[in-house]
This record gives sequence, structure tokens and C-alpha cells, in this order.
Amino acid sequence: MEIIISNSSGVPIYEQIIEQIKSKIVANELTPGQLLPSIRNLAKDLRCSVITTKNAYDELERQGYVKTIPAKGVYVNEINRDLAREEQLKKIEKILDSAVVLAKINNLSRKEIDDILDILYEEDK
Amino acid sequence: MIGFIRKDLAMIKSNFKLLAILTIVYLGMSLAGQMDISFILPFMCVMIMISTFSYDEFNNWNAYVVTFPNGRKNSVKAKYIATLLMIVIVTIITTILSFIISYVRTSTIDYINILEMTFGLIFGTLLVQTFMYPIIYKFGIEKGRIAIFIIVFGIVISGGLLSQFIDLSGVLNALSFLENYWVITIIILSVLLTYGSYRISLAIEMKKNF
Amino acid sequence: MMKNILEVNGLTKKYDNFELKNVSFNLPRGMIMGFIGENGAGKTTTIKSILDIIKDYSGKVKIFNLDYRSHEAEIKEEIGVVLDDMFFPEILTAQDIDNVMRGIYKNWDSNLFNNYLKDFDLPRNKQIKTLSKGMHKKLEIATALAHHPKLLILDEPTSGLDPVARSEVIDIFQDFIQNDDCSILFSTHITTDLEQIADYITFINDGEIVLSKTKDELLDEYGIVKCHEEEFNKISKKDYVKYKKNKCEYEVLVENKREFKKKYKFEVIDKMTLDDLMVLMIKGEK
Repeated sequence: MEIIISNSSGVPIYEQIIEQIKSKIVANELTPGQLLPSIRNLAKDLRCSVITTKNAYDELERQGYVKTIPAKGVYVNEINRDLAREEQLKKIEKILDSAVVLAKINNLSRKEIDDILDILYEEDK
Repeated sequence: MIGFIRKDLAMIKSNFKLLAILTIVYLGMSLAGQMDISFILPFMCVMIMISTFSYDEFNNWNAYVVTFPNGRKNSVKAKYIATLLMIVIVTIITTILSFIISYVRTSTIDYINILEMTFGLIFGTLLVQTFMYPIIYKFGIEKGRIAIFIIVFGIVISGGLLSQFIDLSGVLNALSFLENYWVITIIILSVLLTYGSYRISLAIEMKKNF
Repeated sequence: MMKNILEVNGLTKKYDNFELKNVSFNLPRGMIMGFIGENGAGKTTTIKSILDIIKDYSGKVKIFNLDYRSHEAEIKEEIGVVLDDMFFPEILTAQDIDNVMRGIYKNWDSNLFNNYLKDFDLPRNKQIKTLSKGMHKKLEIATALAHHPKLLILDEPTSGLDPVARSEVIDIFQDFIQNDDCSILFSTHITTDLEQIADYITFINDGEIVLSKTKDELLDEYGIVKCHEEEFNKISKKDYVKYKKNKCEYEVLVENKREFKKKYKFEVIDKMTLDDLMVLMIKGEK
């Protein structure tokens, strides 16, 4: 499982872990029933503290993304994909919203915004 | 505890060459009929053991061993046992060499004389050890040297003064009956002194703050 | 099952010019605790007391929920230590250490020790005194780990190591706590090492424990407010921990940056690093 942690982004590490695992689950990169690394293993891989990974897994469990089976490990849960997608969409909307506000302040046309989006999508490929 | 003994032996390993050279010198001088230096090997041994204290001190080994199971106790015990071991081995070597030298030079073996010497050596070296170790444990090797000097000086002076005022011949007469039992006397005295010295060193080390 | 591997309670020790004052903290099982503070703040004295190297302190130390007086050997079988300036006599070799330790710890594992020597590129037959400072430290660490201890007590284990070696050592510590029975107490002044892997931070200053809590809480809650004098004067004394006056701004350490933000609506509240914490706590004023 690939997770990339930035120590300088200002976002707490445990939130970065939560976000990245969530999006992997939503994107079906992590499939229901799949065993996740143990908190200690993940802490070692990410060079962070055990408490951080434990907090992240606890929060994921609270939100229903994973399930802990005592003495066995942490497994990906069967999630309501629509609901999860909905949640992600909301987030995207929120980010785009601030982009649009900024664009309007600077008198950018809709076309220009589209172009930027096109470029960003291309770059990602 | 065996680990601590191994450590002391490993430390004096590098001195084996010196001991081998001394053995040859000893053999050579004795065969050539020069003065008797049979004491040299056992005494060198004690000196080498004492030098191990400096290395211990230099790397704070004595503080480090506190973190081992029963470290304080076993390290002191091991120091005494390693020293005894060295003294016994070297004395046996000296004794055997003395037999050979005696045979080569006179074609006979002077058992009584040589055995007397053996006991004398063990007793003498033990005395040095029993006397010095507690002082080193108490004061460390640097200050210990000064302490030893002061104490020896004190004993000599006070002994000298005492003999001026008190007639010791009575005491000596009373002790003279021991002459017939000297072997057993020396053995008992050696055991008592070593054990007493060990207990004192141990008591010092058990209470020490590093 | 015991919760705390190590409990230090009311540790007090007086010297002529220094004093440990009522030092208390707990290290939970399976965790790494970073023990930070200036040189001379009392880290080494605390660690020496925990290990019984210093005996005449008052207060109580419990390891594995056991008392030294009755269970000394038992406790020490399961502790591994790296101490500043305390080790094997330098004329010995790694091979000698292996032989010696086999006769000291019941659980000494020569194979494990040799694996560490290989991993660290340490020579078996060279005298310790010929090793570089970094190699020396690594040998100390290998020696501390090879009897399968449950608790590692490390006084400045990364000092003198270059960044690559430090990274290797941090990996080994994280390997060590893969077993959730194992814990580490780790004193250092290099806080970047700890900012990554420590679960708990205990901060000692001038012989007193200033704080002891999880690192995530600490870095999440504490913050540094940067402001001008007039703004600073509006802050009530009870709302900050310490402040430091710089050339063109005030740096103010606050214990709960969210509350503070609500109350004062200041623009610049920075994330705090452990270095910031140490500097402000030691140099700052109230």
C-alpha cells in the first residue's frame, strides 16, 4: 500500500493517512476484506509514531471504512460506495468553489478556467 | 558471572607476550645462576590485573555493568576470581620451572625449599591484591595510588614507632607455635584475607553512585 | 497485562549545584518516549537513577511493574541500554563482547549480535578504540539489542552519528517496537529524530518535568503566535505559556491554538516544532 506523507505540508500526518487510505478505498485500490498493514508496520513504513497510525485507523473505523478484528488485524470494510463518492465530490466542490471565487475576483473567463483544468488533467496523466 | 571473568581475561590477553618474555628472562637468569627472581611472574600478574582497573575506569565500565543482571556484585566477584586464577596458574608455572631449574643446576630437586617458595609467592601476591583492591574500588585507580602510598607509609611509620615503645617479643613468642603449622596457617590466612577484602570491595561497590 | 513498562515517581536528588525535583512520568507499553531537554537539564541523572547507577535518590522507580529491591536481576535481564560515555573497555573487540555477554545475559543471542555487526558493517576483531565515533555508537546499540530486551533505555543514542547512520538507527528502533511488548525511552537533543517516531514526549528543564504527553497532542494543540507589541499587550497572562521578544515581533507559545484563535482572532499562529518548544520554554519569559 502506497502512502506518501509530507512532513512540511502543515496537514497533520494522521489526517494525511486517513485521506489517502480513504481515497484508495473509494477508488477500489483497496478492496473490501483486504488486510491493511498493522499499526506498527505502517508506523515503521511511514516513519511516524505508533499513536499516529493508531489514531488514523481508529478514525477510519469510526467512519466505517475499516474494521478491526481483534488479534487478527485491520480490514477494509464493505462501504457504501455512493456515499463515499458523495463525500469526495463534496470535497472537490468545496475546493473548486474557492477557485471560482478567486477566478471571479480576477475576472477570469469560464473558458480560461476550463483551459487550466484541461492542463492540470493532462499533467496528471 | 563467567562473562565478567572472560572480560578480564580478554583484557590481559594482550599482556601474554610480556609474560612469555619475562618467563624466558626468568629462566635464563635462574639457569645462569643469577639472583632468584621467582617472584617476578606472579607479581607481574597482579600488576597486570591492577592495570585492568584503569581500562575499566577509562570507559566507565564499572557504571555500565550496573545495568547488567547482578552487575555490581558479579563484576567484583569476577575480578577477585580472575586474579586468583592468574596467580595460581603463574605460580604453578613458576614452581614447575623451579623444579626444572633446580634439577638442571644441582641434579636434585629441593622439594621443601621450592614448595616453601610457592606458598610464599601465593601469600605475598594475595596480600598485595587484598590490600589494594578495596582501596582501588573506593578511590579509583588514580587517587587509589596516592591512598596506597599514604597507607603504606603510615603503617611503616606507626609500626616503627610502636616497636620503639612496645616490646613485641612477647607477641612473636606467642606466635612461634605456628611455625610448625605454617602451611595451614598461610592457607587459612590467605582465605580469610581474600574473603575479607572481597567483602569490603563488594560493600563499597554496592553502595557506589557513578 | 501491565499498562506501563516504566513508572518514575517523585524522583528527587540533590547535588551541590543541581537538583532533580520530583521527577515523575510513565512510559506505556509498546511506545517510544522521547526525553528532551537542554544539556545539563537532568536527562542523564534521571536515566542513571532509573538504572540504579545512581542509588541515593528519593522517590520510586518501577520497571515492568517490579521494584528494584526485590527483582533487580530479573528486571535487568530485560533492559538494554546505551549510555553516553559508558561501555566496554576499549582494548576489547566485538568478538570479546559477544563472548562476555554470553556469560552475562541468559538470553544473549550471538546470531542476532552477528547479524547486527553485519548490518552495521562492524568488524569483529578490531579493538573498540580503532572504531570511528559512529561505528562505536552502532556497536553500543547492537550490544544493547542482542539479548532481546523488552525495554531500551538510550541516552543520546544518535549523537555523533551522521544523518545516514541516524536514519539506520531509527529504522532499528522502529523494528524493535514491531513487537508491542517492547518500549523505548530515548533521550536526545536532536529533536528531528523524535518528531518522526516518538509516541510520547517528556520534557525536562532545570531538573523539573515541564510536560509529558503524546507527541501528536503536543504538536497538534500547542502553537506559536507571532504578533506585534500592541497585540501582545492584549493577551491575558493566563492564555499563554511563555513569550520571547524578537527584533520585530513577539513569539508567544500557546497551549491550545484553536481556543486561542477563537478568543483573539490573530492571523499568524504557526505549527510548533519540538525545537520551538524547547527554545521558548528555556529562553522565553512569562
